[in-house]
Amino acid sequence: MAEIRDFKKSDRNSVPPGSAMPRRLAAIVAGDIAGYSRLMQLDEEGTHGRVKRIERDLIEPSIAEHHGKLVKTTGDGFIAIFDSPVEAVRCSIVIQQNLVGRNASLPQHYWIEYRIGVNLGDVIIETDDVYGDGVNIASRLEGIADPGQVYISGGIYEQIKHKLVCGYESLGDRKVKNITDPVRVYRVLPDPAAFHRTRKRRESILIFFLSLALLVIAGGALWYMLSQPRGKVGDQASTPVAKPQPAPSVAPIPQQAAPQPSPTPSVGPANQKAAQPRPTSPATPATPLAPAVKEPEMKTIGGGSFTMGSNDDATEKPTHQVAIKPFAISQFPISVRDWNECAAAKACAFAATGKDDAPVTNVSWSDAKQFVAWLAGATRKAYRLPSEAEWEYAARGGTQTKYWWGDQFQSGMANCKNCNDVAAAEQPIKVGSFKPNPFGLYDMGGSVDQWVEDCWHKNYQGAPADGSAWVEGDCASHVIRSGSWRNDARYVRPSNRDSYDTNVRYPTHGFRVALSPQ
Amino acid sequence: MKLTRLIVLSAALACLSFAAFAQGKPAPKDALLYFVWPQDGTTIKGGFWCRFGLRNMGVTHAGDNYQNSGHHHLLIDVNEPLDPNEPIAQDKSHLHFGAGQTEARIELPPGKHTLQLVLGDAGHYPFNPPVVSDKITVRIK
Repeated sequence: MAEIRDFKKSDRNSVPPGSAMPRRLAAIVAGDIAGYSRLMQLDEEGTHGRVKRIERDLIEPSIAEHHGKLVKTTGDGFIAIFDSPVEAVRCSIVIQQNLVGRNASLPQHYWIEYRIGVNLGDVIIETDDVYGDGVNIASRLEGIADPGQVYISGGIYEQIKHKLVCGYESLGDRKVKNITDPVRVYRVLPDPAAFHRTRKRRESILIFFLSLALLVIAGGALWYMLSQPRGKVGDQASTPVAKPQPAPSVAPIPQQAAPQPSPTPSVGPANQKAAQPRPTSPATPATPLAPAVKEPEMKTIGGGSFTMGSNDDATEKPTHQVAIKPFAISQFPISVRDWNECAAAKACAFAATGKDDAPVTNVSWSDAKQFVAWLAGATRKAYRLPSEAEWEYAARGGTQTKYWWGDQFQSGMANCKNCNDVAAAEQPIKVGSFKPNPFGLYDMGGSVDQWVEDCWHKNYQGAPADGSAWVEGDCASHVIRSGSWRNDARYVRPSNRDSYDTNVRYPTHGFRVALSPQ
Repeated sequence: MKLTRLIVLSAALACLSFAAFAQGKPAPKDALLYFVWPQDGTTIKGGFWCRFGLRNMGVTHAGDNYQNSGHHHLLIDVNEPLDPNEPIAQDKSHLHFGAGQTEARIELPPGKHTLQLVLGDAGHYPFNPPVVSDKITVRIK
């Protein structure tokens, strides 16, 4: 022990940090595209675009997600380093599995397939490159890997064999170019069952041919029997059977947008309906500036301090005091009509379908950001998404109870699942169909899920106390608030929070906008 | 002979009309969705990496309308049957992986929990027939 300690100490002394050659042990991932030059010959610009997109959307985020560092990209490949061999291999598997999906719709000769090699080695690290034997071995491993496969060295295997539940197929010691000692190579099989499969492959090939032969014989016999009485029988039966394939692929077309049909029947108690002022429509003709954008109805919210969070769910803890500066927030979720002005100006990615006064749905966080950017530009006002703290402050309407109307749920107060008599088929119903909260805001809870500016954090540990948006950390997903008509009463609580992938659209997700005083 | 022909024809027609009503896109018959980790009956201490396996189909971003590909959904302690005509629900027990994730860090309170994977198409609808994994049970210590 003493010896080791001494050695470590002297080692540290002899190589002070920041010396000329910063060496370190790292897991090196080398990847490159199989048949890149062939793909470039086929379609130069298309291939280049696709490769860049894969690097941007898949490789860079995957490496970051697994705490690695992308060292460099070459025309057809990349090199990344990781502190942890487990993360390095995990990242490689994620990249390979995602590529399968990307290639699925394309003919095989257009497939972009990566070969990936992972090696553990002591390397010299400079700002935009790494050097050393370790890197060379990683790229040699990648060179012998089959397209779509991950090959790892013995060093990596020893580190991960009991930690990462994968199958590993030993390919024995391989001599690689310009490296003196042979390298032990393993092929990673993303799941352990696959290992079994490869062993059995030879048997199964045999069985396959045998059964094929049997099938041909059986098929021939069947055909002979069927065609004997009258040739047409086979035809009639087989055409309708073949059709179901194209039919369902047509069916999804009406599904992409949210459901929207037929007028809302008189719903619930009549007095409640009468109480709805519905201020949206009278405002429309009153706007004097003809070409100007119709702005959403905004409500000014006075500043104040409140207790954010609750003890009802782990994500809502710990409760904490937050100070809110005065701001304005839209009285309703953004409607289809509001959204389509942005779409008409070509500033939003798609035109929403559905009734004009229904909330817009199927928007991702990025879509919502596009809308506020357009609105801010068109009106020259600082429109933005509300912060999570602002949203909860506004939703509580000055109360600290479980719901804004008290601690008990009451039916008919919000548009949620099994909360009232609204038929599910007519959803989402128009904005402002339920009672406003004490701040005069509609649908703060229920109706549609609403994006806010903040990145997702699994609880409030370390949350800002000044009401600003919490944007540090993992921004691959953002916070949604309010719950939707498809969630039950628990989700209507003003403190309820959930997350969703930033760039993914979902049919119950909408948003509202906020405005800072100028 | 005539009778059998009629039966075959009507059966085929019935299949056709059913397929027209179903929302989901067709999935290959040999598509297999499964848990790489954890396995059924595993006892786990604390949080864990849940890894999703898919054979004979591909994983893609939600909204990408490629044939034979979809994205993962993890259902935790869900007992209601899957409705093929509705998008897969989005709440605290239906986790979505629309960015094409094939694994996720899961933290559950101690006790027994069921896990099940469902593959969704571009619009979050289940496939037809649904591509679902076995429902597994794990115990969190």
